[in-house]
Amino acid sequence: MFTKTKKNKQKFIACTEKKNKYEFINPKELYIKQGKENIPIEIVSDKQGFVFVIWKKKKYLVDIIEKNQNQYEISVNGVTYPISVESPFSYKRKKYLAKNKGDSKIEKIQAPMPGKIIEILVEENQEVKEGEPLLILEAMKMQNEILSSFQGKIKNINFRAEDTVIKDDIIIELEK
Amino acid sequence: MTKIKSILISNRGEIAIRISKTAKGMGIKTFGIKTSKEPSAYYLQFMDEIIDFTELNNDIPEFLDIEHIIYSMKENNIDAVHPGYGYLAENPYFAQKCIDEGIIFIGPSPDSIYKLGNKTIAKQLASSHNIPLLEGSNGNIRNPYHAKQIAKKIGYPVILKAASGGGGRGMRIVEKEEEIEKMFRMAQNEAEKAFSDPSVFMEKYVRNPRHIEFQILSDHHENIIHLGERECSIQRKHQKLIEESPSVALNKDLRKIMGDSAIKIAKVSKYKNAGTVEFLLDESGNFYFMEMNTRIQVEHPVTEMVTGYDLIEWQIRIAQNEKLTIKQEDVKQNGWAIECRINAEDVQASFAPYLGTIEKIQFSNGKNSRFDTGVTEGSNITASFDSMLAKLISYGETREKAIANSLAALNKLYIKGIKTTIPFCKEVLNHPKFQSGDISTSFILNDMKQLYYQEKDEELIAAFWASLNHNIELDDNDKTFIDYEKGKNINPWLMNKRLKSL
Repeated sequence: MFTKTKKNKQKFIACTEKKNKYEFINPKELYIKQGKENIPIEIVSDKQGFVFVIWKKKKYLVDIIEKNQNQYEISVNGVTYPISVESPFSYKRKKYLAKNKGDSKIEKIQAPMPGKIIEILVEENQEVKEGEPLLILEAMKMQNEILSSFQGKIKNINFRAEDTVIKDDIIIELEK
Repeated sequence: MTKIKSILISNRGEIAIRISKTAKGMGIKTFGIKTSKEPSAYYLQFMDEIIDFTELNNDIPEFLDIEHIIYSMKENNIDAVHPGYGYLAENPYFAQKCIDEGIIFIGPSPDSIYKLGNKTIAKQLASSHNIPLLEGSNGNIRNPYHAKQIAKKIGYPVILKAASGGGGRGMRIVEKEEEIEKMFRMAQNEAEKAFSDPSVFMEKYVRNPRHIEFQILSDHHENIIHLGERECSIQRKHQKLIEESPSVALNKDLRKIMGDSAIKIAKVSKYKNAGTVEFLLDESGNFYFMEMNTRIQVEHPVTEMVTGYDLIEWQIRIAQNEKLTIKQEDVKQNGWAIECRINAEDVQASFAPYLGTIEKIQFSNGKNSRFDTGVTEGSNITASFDSMLAKLISYGETREKAIANSLAALNKLYIKGIKTTIPFCKEVLNHPKFQSGDISTSFILNDMKQLYYQEKDEELIAAFWASLNHNIELDDNDKTFIDYEKGKNINPWLMNKRLKSL
């Protein structure tokens, strides 16, 4: 492959939430490399405007749900995947930064759904065990106990009873 | 015989459309209610006439506004009301009010609704007629201490239920004594909030039971039949997600015994119209009466598909005093039907409601499937209403074929703009344990490793799609900002190049 110059060889590294990494060279040429083989991709859209990727004789319904710079949320057959697209350079930088940051000891307890806080069952500085109920959240008229997924000490409580929260609001911060 | 000429459908979404289709087919004029929360809703397109509630300015939700609904019916000279499910379907006060005003309520009598709707009374009714029941508190729990005593007597685990509850709300499973007081208070609290009635009762909790229910039809001429069972064991937090008819757990004998018990319940409560008797079936084939739902149910289409009868039609015919012409021996369950509920929920985020706009929706109608939808392109999904959007019901001569047809139909059901339970339904239908019929109400909790279906290469395709779009966007940017030396729009490639040349 000496014929191609470096200039028109663009490499993209797509990183998933679970830290899986996929590399694509010149995706606009519409193939995915598997092993040594370049397997072509076909893009079709139907009359209603749904877009499909066909690869290895399988058809996938694709959509961009959200996009913020290089952060994408892609839907494939109704399941969504958060993906960040990096260049080899930005990938290296990201890895370097992650290594130096170390493991954060603060765990966030986020609202799994929009709703109203009925009761906070813990106090700041309290030690909690994994599986211990932290608060009661009411959503769509159901009361749900939010359990601690970690053992640790309550660092911050950002909401009070009767407060309404939206999805992903950080309700409680926990120190591991 | 009082022939019904017009019906007000005091409901919305797919069930309003479902009712209107049948009513129109019978030559009945249909009226729908337009609300300010969804003034351009899809169901309104299926109504002959629309009654405008958008100007109403009170705190009561439109479909619960008994006074105004009755007033509108009188004003428009409407013969009958069909409440659908939810809202006023099981409100004895509303049914009575209709009768008082000379309007036909398409459903059972206020007395039946009241007795069967109150689980404590319903259980007493069943136990006095030797219908098997789970051991329980035989009435409401008075206080946390009382709860503790009863739980000790019947043995843990126990379940606390709101006496006026339904649809899975106001229920709590208690595994051990330390939790009983807290859980009792929570159940009471939730019951008070949801049903304005804090009464809670307790019963023995059966592990891994199946949810089996029988469809009843009963007329005003002493004819009463059942249309076989539905299995609704695929539930999450007591909310049904996939239902089927018939059930693999029943043979001819058990079907007869359970069906007879269901008929007996309906008989002793003088039940008229369509109703559903719910049972729990344990692993050794013992069944227990749970409750009777005095309305048409969400999952009624699976019964329609295998028996061939239109349940809404029969509700209307019974309401206008017609005789049931179907005999028990005429009822045949042919083949298999499965219903998948399509809810606007994010299965990747513990089924959190997903709000938004349906940008596009596409479904290919096949001869083996039926799509009962309440939404169309442009429909807004807001927090004002239930998250159920549509139901996909598929048929097959065998269960295996019904599963295959359901999957084929799900694979051709495309919705853009919101996340739905489609990937969840696919995962269930692909699950070996579901396919072998080995299910229980704990299936989702105990047997599913993942709650949504994924093909092997889906993540790769997602990664590719993101990269391709990013590539295109960067190229477009490059075209726009040729003069990069001035420091505008520095992209990573450029930065890399510069750093290397330093």
